[in-house]
Amino acid sequence: MILGFDTATGITAVAVADRGAVVSEEWAGPGPDGRPAAARELLGMIDAAVRGAGGWERIRTVAVGRGPGSFTGLRIAISTARALSQARRIPVVGIDTTAALAAGIAVDRVAAGGARVGVVDARRGEVFAAADRGEGAGEPVVCRPRELAEALGGGLAGATAAGDGAVRFRSEIEAAGFAVPVDEDPANRLSAARICGLAAKMGRGEARFPAVVTPKYMRRPDAERWRERDHRS
Amino acid sequence: MRRILAIETSCDDTCAAVLEGPRARSNVVSSQARLHARYGGIVPEVASRRHLELINPVIDAALEGGGTDLDRVDAVAVTVKPGLIGALLVGVSTAKSLAAATGKPLIPVDHLHGHVAAAFLEPEPLAPPFLALIVSGGHTLLAEVRAHGSFAVAGQTLDDAAGEALDKAARLLGLGFPGGPAIQREAAAGNPESFPMPVAMSRGGGLDFSFSGLKTALVYAVGDLGPERTLERRADLAASFQEAVVGQLVAKLRRALDRGGWEAVALGGGVAANALLRERATALCAERGVRLKLVPPELCTDNAAMIGSAARHAEPIAYPGYLALDAAAR
Ligand SMILES: [Zn+2]
Repeated sequence: MILGFDTATGITAVAVADRGAVVSEEWAGPGPDGRPAAARELLGMIDAAVRGAGGWERIRTVAVGRGPGSFTGLRIAISTARALSQARRIPVVGIDTTAALAAGIAVDRVAAGGARVGVVDARRGEVFAAADRGEGAGEPVVCRPRELAEALGGGLAGATAAGDGAVRFRSEIEAAGFAVPVDEDPANRLSAARICGLAAKMGRGEARFPAVVTPKYMRRPDAERWRERDHRS
Repeated sequence: MRRILAIETSCDDTCAAVLEGPRARSNVVSSQARLHARYGGIVPEVASRRHLELINPVIDAALEGGGTDLDRVDAVAVTVKPGLIGALLVGVSTAKSLAAATGKPLIPVDHLHGHVAAAFLEPEPLAPPFLALIVSGGHTLLAEVRAHGSFAVAGQTLDDAAGEALDKAARLLGLGFPGGPAIQREAAAGNPESFPMPVAMSRGGGLDFSFSGLKTALVYAVGDLGPERTLERRADLAASFQEAVVGQLVAKLRRALDRGGWEAVALGGGVAANALLRERATALCAERGVRLKLVPPELCTDNAAMIGSAARHAEPIAYPGYLALDAAAR
């Protein structure tokens, strides 16, 4: 069985899958204060999912969303994954959050030849995005929503874009030529079952023990950029 | 709880230790000081990223160095507050997950209780009651310790921490980061009486500290001198500033002792490594006939052995009561 989770977007998502079948899937939205609740919710959801699946002995792989997304969210999920791996001696595989979002768009909803694009709200008026043209999602990019088509390399006529970033910047992204599912469509919400699904597709060979998974921050710390700017001027 | 694995990530050091009673079987600290030096101070996002890279190898090293493994540990302890929230979260998520995946209890620890509890550790453990003066880049605390499991704050800084003041002074004088050791080195060749610094002592006999006035005085002194003469007089400036910081710390300690009843003092925190502070505190305690416990340097700077020491006297939470436990900045 695969235990999968992701806290890179505003929600906390946990699932267990067994040979392609979803055993359990849960998600929790932000807390009452509007802030992501991963620090409080994630481990309890994992604990319940693992007990429901028959205990840690049944879990053969941990699959964790490695972003891009909220820096704090990435660190909570990845430190949790690494510690579970260290304690249970099970391998970990990292899955791109953008790839999981792209995989959450049903193939039959995409026009023939159209790509599926996972879009995460990157704050600061930008998005993280990756396109799946039928062979799995590529490397994520960071860009302004209206520059999404070019940033992903073009050739995306008829593509569907989903995720919290697609919802937040719906008008710009639709104007850029993408179809965006209605806000409440499940495709816009990261699914941990997709994290498990992509991990199963990658096969056991990709999972590592000790865990080597690292976050996809896609941005350097501000202090580093300021420092370089100061040194240039 | 015979054997405790303790984790500390509240600031810029990634730490893990294995404790057995008052003895640290291992105490691993992976310092990020050099990483942050290039920014002239601690950058929270940089610290959080580094903690995530280091935490698991540091824990492995602590377990191995302690001649044990996770299965043979009775409880996991972790700093939950106060500190940089992103940094704390790496340690808390890790500790909770290690404990939950093995069904062990978790012991949440207050970082300041950790600094106090460093005095309980071998060699020569100190037992309450005692006065603790904890001075570092993050805290300036005078604590009354009457029991192992708690402490009362008698005085704390109203603005900058003493170590922070030294860092700022060092930056102002172009001496690098961390500031404490740099100021101490420079001050060795200077005259501490050459630049009078304001004495921040509240008339009400309070035990709180204040260092922002000293910093302002130094800013003015440097401004009056100009860059060239500042460089010439740097040793004198460093010596005067260090004298003022240490003078205030020792004056408040003297005041606390005047209130009476104390037979022992523990001096801890990163700035406790300062030679002048050690010398003055030693003289004061000798004069009063009070035992002074100088916490060893490796237990003064942030470390996980002190967190494990506090955990021995804190309330463990049995699995699964801690699954929703969160970190707190303050
Ligand atoms: Zn500290």
